[in-house]
Amino acid sequence: MNAFAATIPILIVVLSAIAAMLAEAIRHPGERMYIAGFGLIGLTGALVASCFLWDADATSFGVVRADNFSLFVNIVLCIIGILTMVFSHDVIEREEIPAGEYYALTLFAISGMMLMAAATDLLVIFLALEVLSLAVYVLTGLRRGSGLGAEAAFKYFLLGAFSSAFFLYGIAIAFTISGSTRLDQVGTAMASAPSPTLAWLAVGLLAVGFCFKVSAVPFHMWTPDAYEGAPTIVTAFMSTGVKAAAFGAFARVFLSTLEPMQGQWVPVLSAVAAATMIVGAVVGVLQNNIKRMLAYSSIAHAGYLLLGIIAANNAGKAAVLFYLLAYAVANLGALGIVALLGTAEHPHDQLRDFAGLWRTRPALAGLMTVFLLSLGGFPPTAGFIGKWYIFAAAVQNGHYWLAIIGVLSSVVSVFFYLRIVVMMYMTEDASAPARPRVSAPSMAALGFATLAVFYLGVLPARVIDYALQSIQTIF
Amino acid sequence: MLLTSIVFLPLAGALLVLLAGGRGDRPDREGVVRVVALAVSLVVFVATLYLWWAFNPVDPEFQLVERHAWLPQFGITYHLGVDGVSLFLIVLTGFLTPLALLSSWQSIHKNVKQFSFFMLALETAMLGVFVSLDLFLFYVFWDAMLIPMYFLIGIWGYERRIYAAVKFILYTMAGSVLMLIAIIGLAWVHSTATGQGPSFDLLDLYGLHLSWGMEMWFFLAFTVAFAIKVPLFPFHTWLPDAHVEAPTAGSVILAGVLLKMGTYGLLRFSFPLFPSAAHYFAPYLAVLAIIGIVYGALVAMVQPDMKKLVAYSSVSHLGFVVLGLCALNVNGVQGAVYQMLNHGVSTGGLFMIVGMLSDRRHTRLIAEFGGLKAVVPRLVAAFLLITLSSIALPGMNGFIGEFLILLGAFRAHPRMTAVAATGVILSAVYMLWMFQRVNYGTVTNEKNRGLRDLTGREWAMMAPTIAMCIFMGVAPNVFLRPMEASVVRVIDRINGVTTFAKSRTSNLDPRAPTLQPPTSGTGVPR
Repeated sequence: MNAFAATIPILIVVLSAIAAMLAEAIRHPGERMYIAGFGLIGLTGALVASCFLWDADATSFGVVRADNFSLFVNIVLCIIGILTMVFSHDVIEREEIPAGEYYALTLFAISGMMLMAAATDLLVIFLALEVLSLAVYVLTGLRRGSGLGAEAAFKYFLLGAFSSAFFLYGIAIAFTISGSTRLDQVGTAMASAPSPTLAWLAVGLLAVGFCFKVSAVPFHMWTPDAYEGAPTIVTAFMSTGVKAAAFGAFARVFLSTLEPMQGQWVPVLSAVAAATMIVGAVVGVLQNNIKRMLAYSSIAHAGYLLLGIIAANNAGKAAVLFYLLAYAVANLGALGIVALLGTAEHPHDQLRDFAGLWRTRPALAGLMTVFLLSLGGFPPTAGFIGKWYIFAAAVQNGHYWLAIIGVLSSVVSVFFYLRIVVMMYMTEDASAPARPRVSAPSMAALGFATLAVFYLGVLPARVIDYALQSIQTIF
Repeated sequence: MLLTSIVFLPLAGALLVLLAGGRGDRPDREGVVRVVALAVSLVVFVATLYLWWAFNPVDPEFQLVERHAWLPQFGITYHLGVDGVSLFLIVLTGFLTPLALLSSWQSIHKNVKQFSFFMLALETAMLGVFVSLDLFLFYVFWDAMLIPMYFLIGIWGYERRIYAAVKFILYTMAGSVLMLIAIIGLAWVHSTATGQGPSFDLLDLYGLHLSWGMEMWFFLAFTVAFAIKVPLFPFHTWLPDAHVEAPTAGSVILAGVLLKMGTYGLLRFSFPLFPSAAHYFAPYLAVLAIIGIVYGALVAMVQPDMKKLVAYSSVSHLGFVVLGLCALNVNGVQGAVYQMLNHGVSTGGLFMIVGMLSDRRHTRLIAEFGGLKAVVPRLVAAFLLITLSSIALPGMNGFIGEFLILLGAFRAHPRMTAVAATGVILSAVYMLWMFQRVNYGTVTNEKNRGLRDLTGREWAMMAPTIAMCIFMGVAPNVFLRPMEASVVRVIDRINGVTTFAKSRTSNLDPRAPTLQPPTSGTGVPR
């Protein structure tokens, strides 16, 4: 097979990003242009390419591998990207976000995410991590006039740079032990390392890097601020996309390369997962800003996903993939609605802004409820199957306590999801803010997300099958 | 297909209601929506009656079974079936839902479309709980049911509705998620024990042998979830809030059906899945049940609010049901199942009466009433009959249930049963005292003059309820016969008897007094 085969989905997205940049360059000032279209074309192309590459197990240059695992993540990322593009077209003008930069950066970020999930070399993973991180840092601070945005971007960048340094140290030490950065060679060398302390250090540093990206406690500090300060549509994008990519690489590195060292990292990650679930759920209860609330919710969800990695069995690996998809559609839907209701003057991100939404926008309130119930893990939605799958994997390996902490923290998190529902349905709106219209394509995208939530919740067998196929190639 | 149709018919009706209601807020479509919802619920009721007709009363096994692969990777099936225990709970659900819809005819004016939608969606979830024979499927319905109930309380309830709704959902969830972990654990134990992979199928799991430690933990996880739902003392604190704040229709369904899910769960899942633990813990549960009986009754006695009084009386009555289950013999369990039905009908009826009074006066405080007998004689007559049914007057349905329960419990725990029997007296005290203060004497409050007596719609609610109370009191065998074979089967499972032949000597002790002594032909599989 062609040497470029494995990188085709990534290249397509990069090309569409370049097209978006060029379009911005040739656009007359004030001329309206459907730049999101380039993104839609590129992402659909990448989606189709990923489907074609299924089961082909293509490898490019020995460092990028399009196995079913990375293709599954690719498909999740394409869905995230497409939904984001559709919402963006409604939102960015209102939010006064520069269009060209926004689309180009989002698409570059997606290409980085895809590369991260497909990379089989620690340095390429780092490269991908930086591509996506730099794009997301800029996206966070894209509203140049906003002080909150600047603060968020700065915080995110500073802490992110630190974590990247940790990650790089980890790579360096792994290289010292094994003389290579290829995952397979690192894996064999680490298992039989002459100095276990050094191997330990490498694993620890790599874990810090990943934990930062997935916002696991205690590396979660940036999350609420970055999510709150970023434009809502960017929050929606990064809370789902970055998580999917980072967990893809996390699973690949820890569950295949570092699997022999499980005895060492499982206890540490267990403590991290427990803390992540508890902090995410409990602190989320105290938030009055929806974006901060969903930031803590995303921290809690990172904890559940970590449980899948800790379980380290087939069910756990497949559960991570399924959960990423279930979480992506629900969270993107929920934050998408927040974004679609916001304007530059009135961001519509406070809890009380949702008061009486049911009266004025029954459909949006209904969809929002579905997404929130899915995040809270109620049947018959995707979130329930996802949580059940994760906890089933944890229980299978005897991690009863983690599973119990998980379910109890999910009950706590239900409390804050319900706070939004209470606002929408059970509180009369005192001062109804002027809520902008939602365009038909965005409604269609939300409808698609809702369908996905119910499809994954009622008939998950097929997607679970694909997830199980995905993990067979590498683990 | 019969069970699937019955379960999902209300959901289809709920979607129909959304269509009938039109877009947005359309007060002009209110009537259409109400009629459509009522018609759907009546069709469902007829379907449940047909189910009763199609049910073979002598077969102790699950009938009308439907089994399809759902998540084959995990041995999860779409497995439905009905036996003598669940049959009448299904009929009860079908019976109460139209009444609940009728009871909201006057009192619910805002968002009738959504109200009817949630009521019908709730009915699907409730029916699903009773027919699921797969633990995963059961959990899906069990948890999904919380959502419509949450909205019913939270949107259409009284003053503290939001607090009550959130408390209801969180309290119930906190218990049931631990059950989820136990369900998953059980499935994996099945995988290691049999080597055939995990299974969530109830019938597969019945035969599983567990270590004592595992059995104990799993039993506790299941039982706490069900005890919260029942609610068993000390897990009852959500109930007064939810019952009092819910709209009348919500209270009727909550008391009539939802509480039964807890006792049904104990009987269907906790006890037979973990028989040794059931035998070990049954006396402790019985103690909690008796505390609930006496405590619920005493607290009910001092309530100034009629609705709260009825709510606490539920704690007391459900204590009887759990006591009967804990007897672990045919009389006790049969009485418990019978009492579940009785409580559904009579407490449902009480909530409807309270709803009618509060529709008229916009208050539920006992002190606000007095001397109603002279003003609304027909309503008071209905009130009296329901009250008598609730306090288990011989000839009314409650008597049969409580008698069987005490009979069964006496054989198992004679001393405790003596204490429980005081609950019978206490229930007469608080119910009759409340009845007396509301209805007798002279009219002290001028606002009570000129109240309307029962309307046609209210007759339509009260007549079937009262008829059921009397019918179940004088012809209990119509109900006891079909459930007998299944009850015996369940008890065999709990006592670890695998073949039916043995059970006839162990459980149907000829010396044991039974209302319906097993004659040849009943309770024996063909």
